[in-house]
Amino acid sequence: MRSVYLIAYDIVCPKRYRKIYKAMCGHGDAVQYSVFRCELSDMELQSLKDQLWPVMNLHQDRVMIVDLGPTEGRGDECIEFWGEPRSLIPDRAATIV
Amino acid sequence: MISPSDPQSSSTAHSTAATPGAARQSSTSSGSEDANQLIPVRMLNEFTYCPRLGYLEWVQGEWAENIETMEGTFGHRNVDKPDRKSIPARKKSNDNGDRDEVQSDSANGDSIHARSITLSSDADGIVAKLDLLELDGGVATPVDYKRGQVPDNPEQSWEPERVQLCAQGLVLRANGFESSQGVLYYIASKRRVVIPFDDALVARTRELIVQFKQAAAEEQIPPPLEDSPKCPRCSLVGICLPDETNLLRAPEESVPDGNRIRKLLPAKSKALPLYIQHQGAFVGKSGDRVTIKLKGEELASVRLLDVSQVCAYGNVMFSGAVIAELNRRSIPIVHKSYGGWFHGITTGLSHKNVELRIRQFRTADDPEAALTISRQFIAGKIKNCRTLLRRQLGSTDDPVIANLAEYRKRALRADSAETLLGLEGMAAKCYFEKFFPMISGIEHYDVDGRNRRPPRDPVNAVLSFVYSLLTKELTVTLNSVGFDPMLGFLHRPRYGRPSLALDLAEEFRPLIADSVTLMAFNNGEINQDSFIARAGAVALTDAGRKSVIAAFERRMDTEITHPIFGYKVSYRRVLEVQARLLARYLLGEIEEYPGFVTR
Ligand code: SF4
Repeated sequence: MRSVYLIAYDIVCPKRYRKIYKAMCGHGDAVQYSVFRCELSDMELQSLKDQLWPVMNLHQDRVMIVDLGPTEGRGDECIEFWGEPRSLIPDRAATIV
Repeated sequence: MISPSDPQSSSTAHSTAATPGAARQSSTSSGSEDANQLIPVRMLNEFTYCPRLGYLEWVQGEWAENIETMEGTFGHRNVDKPDRKSIPARKKSNDNGDRDEVQSDSANGDSIHARSITLSSDADGIVAKLDLLELDGGVATPVDYKRGQVPDNPEQSWEPERVQLCAQGLVLRANGFESSQGVLYYIASKRRVVIPFDDALVARTRELIVQFKQAAAEEQIPPPLEDSPKCPRCSLVGICLPDETNLLRAPEESVPDGNRIRKLLPAKSKALPLYIQHQGAFVGKSGDRVTIKLKGEELASVRLLDVSQVCAYGNVMFSGAVIAELNRRSIPIVHKSYGGWFHGITTGLSHKNVELRIRQFRTADDPEAALTISRQFIAGKIKNCRTLLRRQLGSTDDPVIANLAEYRKRALRADSAETLLGLEGMAAKCYFEKFFPMISGIEHYDVDGRNRRPPRDPVNAVLSFVYSLLTKELTVTLNSVGFDPMLGFLHRPRYGRPSLALDLAEEFRPLIADSVTLMAFNNGEINQDSFIARAGAVALTDAGRKSVIAAFERRMDTEITHPIFGYKVSYRRVLEVQARLLARYLLGEIEEYPGFVTR
């Protein structure tokens, strides 16, 4: 139902960068600088696009969205890390603190 | 809502999410008692797609967002950007051979464009919000945006869209304009399709308005479609339960081999609960994440997308921003004392299934009707107790198995609530006699039967805690389905007691709570160090509670084969489906409440 997306971006202006970064944080986890791993349904992906679109300046910025397939399928299996990722791939479990 | 397009077309992606956690906004309606209320033409579109869908949304106030209904659509903006004034009429820059079927306005001519106007027609009984209105003198052309591609059929459009557009035309006519055609603008194809408001379409539109009003006035929900390809694309499929309802309505003989049920619901929900039991923790919002901090240090940060409910124990603080955002997304916050006493739930504007609440209250007020349902709760519980023992004991020779079967039979015939509760008590006694010895290391725990308030030994402490988790889960579920969780049929209302949740918990106690307890002890997830004893009362430590909550949540996420419908589904969804089936039963759609019993 959800798929894993790898989303990378180049944003030129710091102000736009902060907005994009914030929107990205709401949708996934940064595995490297400017590279996020996002688990999203179709609708959630759409909502992310809806947030990014009005902020971006398409003459200067760029975003790349790679669909890695369903969470329960290929999803994360095709990601290989060398060195520590900035954040770990979360397990599916309730959060208890 | 749904895509108005044909289910077989594959032009747009659809989400069928309709979980309790999905954003649910109140619709513009409030009930059927006011027959003169104007029908929004958007609802007429839904009613044309499926009468039941229109009814669920307009009369019962159900709503679930899907990709078609998301506001601030990407596509709109896409079209919008180059020229905010005249989107569909603007000249096309791409040369792919598509020609607009309506000639572009001569720039700055007499034509006026107006956006997002709301108009109504009392005579027709409808109200319309127009995406775009093109005015040329007295001639008005409504334009409706559609996210997808032009449908690949002779009309280049689907009936619900045409009816919706025609209804807009009727509203314009009632407001003194001349309106003989409308335009559907397909964003993905960047194309306009002209829809003439001919006599046939006008007649069809009027006919549907009449039918819709009638269904609302009679308070009779239209039956689900039979095996329709529309259902998998319908955003309310999880609320409507079309195949499940049809199966339970059908006389048994007519159902070949038990089930032809399509699996229309995802087995698991995407979002999961968030528990906070750190005293003094502060819950805030950062962008679209919930953050939990203790003395400025971040304990956790979770995407709002992954949160189905927030459960706070004791002294936990919330920022206004996070409360508002959780409300907006219909994510409930459960407040409990540290000891687990239920203080309340914070929810957004609850949806308005007034019809269901009225039936619930009427049924609770009728002893015979209340008893009929209560029998199912208790019989289901005893059956599930029996199944648990049978599996654990590995045989059916033990007399307790036969005894429980006997209690179950008597429960199904019980002639009063008192008799029923008596039978439940006797069944529980002989069940727990067998249950306690199944816990490994039970000899260290000094257990003397089932006791509570306060529990006097570790096993009872865990049982009580897990029961409170189950009750909490059902309270949240019943609330989101539209029930009042405080008024039950078997358990009588008492201050601070969610009686209906306790009722529905009966059949799930052995399946969820008792088996979680058994597993937590027998897998070594908790041990003697997980408890503290004070003046004869035994309670779980922080770490012990955390282990038990984790075990409970794992159980809720476990997929099982549904005993009636035959598909794989998690316990969390089973609870929701049961609550919805209870609603279907109370609303008179199915003959009997089917208790959830495993084989
Ligand atoms: S699931 Fe099917 S029957 Fe139910 S409302 Fe949707 S389209 Fe109608």
